[in-house]
Amino acid sequence: MQIAAVLFFVPAAGYAAAAAAVPPQAATCVACHGAGGNSVNPVVPSLAGQPKQFITTQLVMFREGNRKNAEMAPFAANLSNTDLNELAAYFSAQPLVPPVRTLHAEKTDAGRLLTQQYFCVNCHGQTLRGQMHIPRLAGQQAEYLRVQLLGFKAATRFDMDGQMSSAVQALTPADIDLLADYISALR
Amino acid sequence: MSNPMNTVARLLVALITLSAAALYAQQPAPAEKAAATPAAAPAPKEQPRWMQGRPAEMSNSTLAPIAPHLTGRPASELPISKLKVPPGFKVEVWVDGLPEARSMALGDKGTVFVSNRNLKDIYAVVDRGGKREVKKVLKGLDTPNGIAFHKGTLYVAEHTRITRYDGIEDKLDSPPAPTVVIEGLPKQVGHFWKFLAMGPDGKLYFNIGAPGNIVMPGYIQGTISRVDPKTRLMDNYAYGVRNSVGFDWHPKTKQLWFTEHGRDWMGDDMPSDELNVAKSKGQHFGYPYCHQGDTLDPEFGKNRSCKEFTPPALNLGAHIAPLGMRFYTGKMFPAEYQNSMLIAQHGSWNRTVKHGYNVIRVTVDDKGKVLKSTPFLEGFLEDPKATPPTWGRPVDVLQLKDGSILVSDDFNGIIYRVSYKK
Repeated sequence: MQIAAVLFFVPAAGYAAAAAAVPPQAATCVACHGAGGNSVNPVVPSLAGQPKQFITTQLVMFREGNRKNAEMAPFAANLSNTDLNELAAYFSAQPLVPPVRTLHAEKTDAGRLLTQQYFCVNCHGQTLRGQMHIPRLAGQQAEYLRVQLLGFKAATRFDMDGQMSSAVQALTPADIDLLADYISALR
Repeated sequence: MSNPMNTVARLLVALITLSAAALYAQQPAPAEKAAATPAAAPAPKEQPRWMQGRPAEMSNSTLAPIAPHLTGRPASELPISKLKVPPGFKVEVWVDGLPEARSMALGDKGTVFVSNRNLKDIYAVVDRGGKREVKKVLKGLDTPNGIAFHKGTLYVAEHTRITRYDGIEDKLDSPPAPTVVIEGLPKQVGHFWKFLAMGPDGKLYFNIGAPGNIVMPGYIQGTISRVDPKTRLMDNYAYGVRNSVGFDWHPKTKQLWFTEHGRDWMGDDMPSDELNVAKSKGQHFGYPYCHQGDTLDPEFGKNRSCKEFTPPALNLGAHIAPLGMRFYTGKMFPAEYQNSMLIAQHGSWNRTVKHGYNVIRVTVDDKGKVLKSTPFLEGFLEDPKATPPTWGRPVDVLQLKDGSILVSDDFNGIIYRVSYKK
């Protein structure tokens, strides 16, 4: 698919300073996830502004081996419940600095329609900012979103009770590309 | 249910399971078929599993399932003092730090075993002079929601098998390897977690839920089934049960009482979740044709009548999610509590105004008639319209030897104890 979007990234340093207590383990996280959990790498997700319960749930599932990822597994393996709660509290409190993306208007309209047709907005919220254990999507890195959607479609990505896997079965490859671009550009 | 089969050998179960699995793999839900045309016009796409059965007019709903805090939350951070019990009763935190505490079983020597659903562990809680020690005794299981303890053996119901751990209470630090009681149960996408209890006939009873919200179940799905741990033979006991995650036998009549979750997406107040009594083997309780004893399903109810099915003993309320339940037989509580049921209600998600998140007491007579239902433990629900609406969710109840009652809460990984003093 041709990405008809103008797409570039801005460094997001400076936001980490906003937090009062930075857990010691966060130093490891930000090496990949960016300062304050704002990723500047398109394949690495931002953690900033995610619901706290989403971060704890995913870290538990990395640790328990339900969500499989060679990069994350060794880090999660050593985290106690207290550790990961502290990390989740910290990153969820950081303001998100989304990647700067501009979409053509027709893609914005088509993307918005897809988020309604595929029921994304029902759980992730009308503005796709997540709630409880359900992640914020708006402003997430597009390549990361794409890989997750493909993983759900293949039923290889961890998924509580299989809800996302069933949600994306009808997505076409073009739908996945458009959704990832649209959602990433959403503020 | 036509052609009832009395005894099914394990091999046959495996065969049925395989064919059932193949059937489900080949037959997409109706919604999938509708969405199968590529580049379809802007019509609703295939729905996520928990939305299956939702009509178009409810498509703007923002109701989403609620998930437990998988790390647990310490009791010290929660408004425990908001919990309410009837006069003379006392509720306290018995133990915390058991992430996703689900079903409970009492060992012969007083060990309380606690299960997981999303997580994979079985905990053992040992009371040492008022101080509770928590151990993870079993790890890495597949959805080990169902546990039962009988004569020195812990039985565990996972997604597709039931196993036994003999003499485990003496070996909590080095538990024995599991022995399979039955395997090859359906690997399915919905309602795959099990409740497990030892019946008065020495057989293990467990649910095999319907594999979706409102779908045609296979022969051994949508049932309460049982297996004899000695012969390892299995048969169906009750049919037309969408999903039951709590049952017990009346202490006098020995009849099986069970809770059952009704289907979703028929609105805030439809249909009711049920409390049922199976007075004999082979009864059909209505799913997917008839709900709450009097309402035909909009899709599956055609050409059927609710008169064909055993009606519920009590309709508990729509989406209130009754789970674990036990008859009270202890000596601690007032005499009127004898042989009445305590039912944990996990609380709703498929409802704009949430309810449940409590434990109720239901009194019945020896003929299987419900006399009354009253609140027993309340105070978890904070704001019925908030997300989440509650700070805790009861899952199971368990009577201790002293007659007090434990209540598990998977949202926080806490177990509460309710006691009574004159």
